[in-house]
Amino acid sequence: SGRGRMALSLTVSSSPSPPLAVLLTVQHLKGKVEINVEDGKETALRVLGDVSFTDVNSIIRYLARLLGSNLMEQTKISHWVEYSQTRLLVKSTFSAALQELNYSLSHRTYLLGDALTLADISIFSTLTGSTVWQEQLKQNKAAVNVRCWYTFLEPAVLFQGR
Amino acid sequence: MAVEELTALEKCLGLKAGKYSRRAQGSSQVPVLQTNSGPSLAGLATIASHLVTQAKKEELLGVSLEEKAVVQQWLEYRTTRIDRLTSKEDVRTTLKDLNCYLEDKVYMAGNKITLADILTYYGLHPIIADLSIQEKENYMNVSRWFSHIQHSPGVRQHLPSVVFIKNRIYSNVH
Repeated sequence: SGRGRMALSLTVSSSPSPPLAVLLTVQHLKGKVEINVEDGKETALRVLGDVSFTDVNSIIRYLARLLGSNLMEQTKISHWVEYSQTRLLVKSTFSAALQELNYSLSHRTYLLGDALTLADISIFSTLTGSTVWQEQLKQNKAAVNVRCWYTFLEPAVLFQGR
Repeated sequence: MAVEELTALEKCLGLKAGKYSRRAQGSSQVPVLQTNSGPSLAGLATIASHLVTQAKKEELLGVSLEEKAVVQQWLEYRTTRIDRLTSKEDVRTTLKDLNCYLEDKVYMAGNKITLADILTYYGLHPIIADLSIQEKENYMNVSRWFSHIQHSPGVRQHLPSVVFIKNRIYSNVH
């Protein structure tokens, strides 16, 4: 049809807490993908009339595919998005996961490629919401490469486009 | 070398090419820029700072007072240390120092690229291009910083891109 791509619509629920990863992703996509954002009872991305995603992981993964990056990059983004929602989110695996992340960041400025991607945003969001991480930062006990990456991204991620 | 570098910096800043000559100073050659208005300028760091001001990109000299001082410190380091490396031993100590300094930093001063990054990158280029894969991994923080700067828009110019392995091979996480 001549109407072009239909705009996506996202409803965001603020209880129990707003999905930071989704909100930062939307901010990152400003100007690249058109998304209408509204408050709602649940967090969901409506794609086509009756297709919608309600899981944070799926929403980010779908949006990452819209960016038209190559297959390798999409796969790497998927890897880190999943990492942020599983190993890095669970208390029992957190410290091992953080160590691996520290190792991965030892020779990289961003998690993949030479610019900010949704991989950085999803890991960043999980760390922002992690009390353990915030405590480590405050006490100056945080893993050095992750700390360097996190403090470098903080102004870029949280205040972009403002 | 210095004149080529200043020409690359001019392109990076979007300036027209200036007129350069060289003046012998001791055993080394110092670049001299003939400006349209006023006297000629001599010395790599002096001319580079002048070009940045001319291009109205003063933020490359640092924004806060502290950043400005750090940028000047590394410009001096470039001309007094990096340009006078003679032995392999010298190179090793310098890379070790830099590796330590860059451990928790993305850029040399502050959270944005500055002239310090650009001139240190130019100065280190022949040295880094000469390193083995294992040495690049030993100076991991220098490699991470170097790779990031060479991908910054406009900085690399005529210099060949140095390859860095995307995964570590000599040391493991466990």
